[in-house]
Amino acid sequence: MTALLRDIAYVRSGDKGNTLTIGVIAREPEHYATVLRTVTPDRVKALFGDWVHGPVHVYPMDNIEAVVVYMENALGGGATSTLRLDQTGKSIGNAILRLRLPGDV
Amino acid sequence: MKDALRIGAGSGFWGDALDPAEELLKGGELDYMSMDYLAELTMALLQRQKLKNPEAGYIPDIVPHLRTLMPLAREHGTRLICNGGGVNPRAGARRVAETAAEQGLKGTRVALVEGDDVLHRLDELLASGETLANMETGDEDFAAIRDRVVAANVYTDASGIAGALAEEADVVIAGRVSDNALYVGPIMHELGWRYDAAHADRVGAAITIGHVMECAAACTGGMSSRFAEMPRMGEVGFPIAEVAADGSAVISKLPGTGGRVDAHTIKEHLVYEIADPGNYIMPDGIADFTTLRLTDLGDDRVRMDNMTGKGQPDRLKLIVGYQDGWIGEGLLFFPWPYALERAHKARETLGERFRRLGLQAEQIHFDLVGINALHGPSAPIPEHDDLNEVGLRVAVRTRTREEAEKVRRACSQLWIMGPGGTSFGTPMKPRPVVSVWPTLIPRAAVSQSVDILEA
Repeated sequence: MTALLRDIAYVRSGDKGNTLTIGVIAREPEHYATVLRTVTPDRVKALFGDWVHGPVHVYPMDNIEAVVVYMENALGGGATSTLRLDQTGKSIGNAILRLRLPGDV
Repeated sequence: MKDALRIGAGSGFWGDALDPAEELLKGGELDYMSMDYLAELTMALLQRQKLKNPEAGYIPDIVPHLRTLMPLAREHGTRLICNGGGVNPRAGARRVAETAAEQGLKGTRVALVEGDDVLHRLDELLASGETLANMETGDEDFAAIRDRVVAANVYTDASGIAGALAEEADVVIAGRVSDNALYVGPIMHELGWRYDAAHADRVGAAITIGHVMECAAACTGGMSSRFAEMPRMGEVGFPIAEVAADGSAVISKLPGTGGRVDAHTIKEHLVYEIADPGNYIMPDGIADFTTLRLTDLGDDRVRMDNMTGKGQPDRLKLIVGYQDGWIGEGLLFFPWPYALERAHKARETLGERFRRLGLQAEQIHFDLVGINALHGPSAPIPEHDDLNEVGLRVAVRTRTREEAEKVRRACSQLWIMGPGGTSFGTPMKPRPVVSVWPTLIPRAAVSQSVDILEA
């Protein structure tokens, strides 16, 4: 079995206008270092492909063993005008859990 | 001045359940209950209602909700704060005061907080030199949307709410105050905190606490990645914050209610819908979420302390809503065998119908429901077409309603033109689009006012 971010992290996502925000939380403190190595702007951008048009930022939160991923121009126009079913970005955040852990790349 | 206060969450969004709020009022020994009803999307919906009826535009639910909650609040000495005024807080507050009078709640003081609505001041702002540039796209051509603007509301700070509480309001009805101002207001009022350098960390703490609380059950097990282990979510308890004068807080819920409060339920909501966690910019101040310490006390209690902040930002976020065309949408479902092949064929047929009908589309979007509607390109397409069923969803942006209607018509035409075995849900009506244009304006351009209506 390939180890995925799914196996070591929780996720909660949402929208700010046309920006998608994804919080990724290490399940246990010892997972945090791997979360940091797994969730990088380049890898996130590659995973989401042409659904994300703007830059991707990753902000670490050492105090709660989590990272905040902030993806600009990523919701097809934002909640009121997007053509996607997931208008407010609640579902798409879980896609980040598809990232493979670095040891398995 | 108190040295601590208890605030409960009574609503996390328009559509939230009322029974957890009732339970919390009865058993929570609350000083305040705060209720959030608004989202970016909500303001656009309310504006559409107000266009049809000038007396509408507040959250209709606040009337039945407050009819249930006001007698309980009076009995338990709890003051109620909400942003359910939406785009018409004056009409909402009037209706709430009438409701209190009908219930015999004599002397109930209903405070109306206004000042967020700058729809009629846009030209004045432009004339004063503000470009109203779109803060997301950088687009400075506000003139291109000026004629289509239907709403303009500023995320305002808690000073209006705190002012209403100073005037001994029992119920506060505000419009587009920031969600967490609903919590920052009573905290600052009760603990005597000010918007000065000496209180920057305290206000940062109030914002952080408000952020955790504002979506109600979202910090007590709702929306959780650990959904499977959350007990009795249909009977979930809404959160309580016990806030101390030193700027720390304990988040909890009523014993016996469903859901859970632990370090993870708080973490899950701390990271929700934020940008840089070191600079969470709200109208009341800039909170730093990266200094916070969480301690799980057990028994559904989590302590938050060491919270900090960096003072108030000079500019406030203004959300301008403008009419921006229509969306036409359709859904078709296909069975095994060859479900995916049927979906691909239907997509091709729809494309042909769109051409025959001369559809003028700005954007056409297809999803395979069951495969990639939620995760888009990150979701792999199955190699073998052996799915039990799959759906095809089409959504189209158009300038006019007539064009959007063609989408519904084309989908209906697949009743017989489509692959064998196709199922259709109820056809969806075209919907108008109100897009949002976020911008920043000077704080000095916004002032709030408080009116008291007495039942």
